[in-house]
Amino acid sequence: MPSTLRINGKDHDIDVDDNMPLLYVLRDVLQYTGTKFGCGRGLCGACTVHLDGQATRSCLLPVSAAAGREITTIEGLSDDGTHPLQLAWIEHRVPQCGYCQAGQIMNAASLLRGNPSPSDEEIDDAMQGNICRCGTYNRIKKAIRSVATATTEA
Amino acid sequence: MSRDTTGSTKPFHLTRRTFIQGSGLVAGGLALGVTVPLPARADSAATQAPTELNAFVHIAEDGATTLYCGRCEMGQGISTALPAAVADELEADWERVTVLQGDADEKYGPQATGGSRSINVMFTPMREAGAAARAMLVTAAAQRWGVDPSVCYAENHVIRNRENGRTLGYGDVAAAAAKLPVPDKPVLKTPDQFRYIGQPIPRHDMGEVVVGTRTYGADTRLPGMKFGAIRHVPVLGGTVRSFDADEARAMPGVVDVIRIDPIDDGYSSLGGVAVVADTTWQAQQALDRVKVEFDAGPHAVYNSPAYKKELVRRVEASAEPVHTRGNLEGAFEAADKRFAATYVGGHLSHSPMEPMASTVWVRDDGCEVWASTQDPAGIQRTVGKFLGIDKNDVTVHVMMAGGAFGRKFKCDYVHEAAALSKAVGAPVNLTWSREEDTKTGFYHSVSAQHIEASLDEEGNVTGWLHRAAFPSIASTFNPSVDRPSEGDLEALANHPYGIVNLQVESGLAPAHTRIGWYRAVYAIFYGFAINAFTDELAEKAGQDPLEFYRRIYRNNTNPEQKEQVERSLAVLELAAEKGGWGKDLPEGHGLGIAVHHSFESYVAMVVHAEVDGDDIRVHRVDCAVDCGLVLNPDQATAQMEGAVIMGMSLALYTEVSFRDGEVVNSNFHDYPVLRANEAPPEIHVHFTNTDATPTGLGEPGVPTFAPALANAIRAAGGPRHRSLPIKPTTV
Repeated sequence: MPSTLRINGKDHDIDVDDNMPLLYVLRDVLQYTGTKFGCGRGLCGACTVHLDGQATRSCLLPVSAAAGREITTIEGLSDDGTHPLQLAWIEHRVPQCGYCQAGQIMNAASLLRGNPSPSDEEIDDAMQGNICRCGTYNRIKKAIRSVATATTEA
Repeated sequence: MSRDTTGSTKPFHLTRRTFIQGSGLVAGGLALGVTVPLPARADSAATQAPTELNAFVHIAEDGATTLYCGRCEMGQGISTALPAAVADELEADWERVTVLQGDADEKYGPQATGGSRSINVMFTPMREAGAAARAMLVTAAAQRWGVDPSVCYAENHVIRNRENGRTLGYGDVAAAAAKLPVPDKPVLKTPDQFRYIGQPIPRHDMGEVVVGTRTYGADTRLPGMKFGAIRHVPVLGGTVRSFDADEARAMPGVVDVIRIDPIDDGYSSLGGVAVVADTTWQAQQALDRVKVEFDAGPHAVYNSPAYKKELVRRVEASAEPVHTRGNLEGAFEAADKRFAATYVGGHLSHSPMEPMASTVWVRDDGCEVWASTQDPAGIQRTVGKFLGIDKNDVTVHVMMAGGAFGRKFKCDYVHEAAALSKAVGAPVNLTWSREEDTKTGFYHSVSAQHIEASLDEEGNVTGWLHRAAFPSIASTFNPSVDRPSEGDLEALANHPYGIVNLQVESGLAPAHTRIGWYRAVYAIFYGFAINAFTDELAEKAGQDPLEFYRRIYRNNTNPEQKEQVERSLAVLELAAEKGGWGKDLPEGHGLGIAVHHSFESYVAMVVHAEVDGDDIRVHRVDCAVDCGLVLNPDQATAQMEGAVIMGMSLALYTEVSFRDGEVVNSNFHDYPVLRANEAPPEIHVHFTNTDATPTGLGEPGVPTFAPALANAIRAAGGPRHRSLPIKPTTV
């Protein structure tokens, strides 16, 4: 069905099956390839985007459920790559292959939005849905803590 | 194509032919070297015609420098480590360097990336490429000034004249430099002159990763392209008997439904049925409606739990001796104590976060491939064979791999994308579903090992019998291979323990699935069995495990293994010291230690575990590494951190099981891998950092974690674990 998606502040007219998950609309129709396919079942978090600021698994979300809402992908998390988490990811040299990191960053951004200074346990809880096979977990947590601390001090 | 799994290396030398292939004219200026087709993406140096000093070094007239990485990047950091070595010898300003991935091309030397060999094989040639280019720039500047080159030197992208202080930028002389002869033996820096080698230079591409613009094999987008989805023949050697695609063909967006048959090639597709559609989702939806009948073939007999028991039975009886030395029988007869144990491991799936993915465009004039790959030349061969064209007519753009771990060495998924593109006459992206990735991989071998050893009264190991049975990787290329070969077992005979009376035996183990290289390969189960057994022997001998390790290594007086013994002991001591070996711990806590030499590097780990019933927690890991000269301490540390996480996944959870020839696991719910909340909160990595020849680190960290954990669990009062994974998932 024809509809309009608002992605990273821009409107996109699309005409796809209502049931097509948002992930495939992003990647295959609109060429927002920063959001990744990992499992297709909401088990790994690679496809995480924000829907009205909340982390959402785009591989399971029918596109019809995203229409009329504010969709944010990794490409739109900041205008110029300077979201505190993006900077922290570079400072703490988190990525290895990097494939899961868009999902990790989007999930962490959603966490900090709701809880600006999470405890270590809260970070563990929030991030356990995002798999990294390269094993960057400790650097991910360090990067999140660095931003959380900065927020607390500010 | 074979890849050495023992870690021995053949050095790659840049001959004049591969280094510089004559002079030629490229657009905008004279240049030495072959004409390089610039990648079809924006080049930051595109404003100025780049001048190619050699295959790896291009300098534009404004000084912007492009360094090419010929080896494949999958997260191990090679596309920073090697260009940094070039930049160092080039005296380049890293801020003015752009790193690009080279397409498949022999001018880059061997590009197949595995065996932790990129550093071993390419470090010196990369330095030579940088040093040669630097010498040419210096000579060009000297000629411009009419002075002898000896009064000029390069420093940070500038040539300086010692006598009068004049300077010329690299861009000013790059075109002239490219016309000069290439020095035969460029003078390399001494280590005290290094500016990037040994420094924690950040990965060149992190800025792209964090904004989502780094493009992986799954991400190529071309005008008019289509998307595929595939369901494979579920059993090795099976076939598609028939399929009914009428309903699928009528679905929206579907272009075609195509049967793919295997070809005679070790990297061939298993065969299957695929749908090509306007989007991946439409292709998957349609594929679900294709009714396929498979013939399973002879491997439908394969049930991995029963097979594992069979392997155990085979190693607990006499097997085929392949390496023998000393007098094992005599040692066993004279023993004060004898002890035996059997260790078992399951199949592993690599499961990189990016499943198998590529885009292929088959055209009348050839074929263009964009793929996550560890072996671009392998793609050229396999796809060339499939299409019946010369391999050089297959252009391969090496994309960033979203994890690989050995799996992306095999290009069955590219063969499939080529078949689909050929069938529909358009570029096709094929990204496997996670289910297909899990169910139809090239798996790490299931294995059983039986070790029997003799001890004398003082607790010295006097004899060692090691029987191993596992389906060999060679079986994937030659189905008649039905047991580990002499070469497969060499690492046991050459282990730095150097036990004087030794026999290594090979147990029958025919393969029923495709066996592949998994990060650290056979060293995973060799490292586990040898270290877990050593810890058990220490207990039998009534000795502290660290003291027992010291004794074994010091007893090896074979002069040919002196270096291996010393380096093994050095990492063992370093890990023990940093991990606080011998310290008091609360009830239920324990330290375990393990050391393993693989892929030319040496790694030891001390794991601090807590055991509470079935609950196993790892509090801290201390990892000591000898990889010779450390090229980039931060990236080397990252490789070890990653090895700990992958080691913990395979120690605790990961196993692929087969029933009636088919893999029963399907996705991350029934093939669970380690998650963030389970990661050891402290992973400390320590380097001996010697000036020895640098060796690779992609794999050597993996083998030590599982045995160190198993030993720690025992020390914490838990059971001895001889079978991995410790907590298998019931599917």
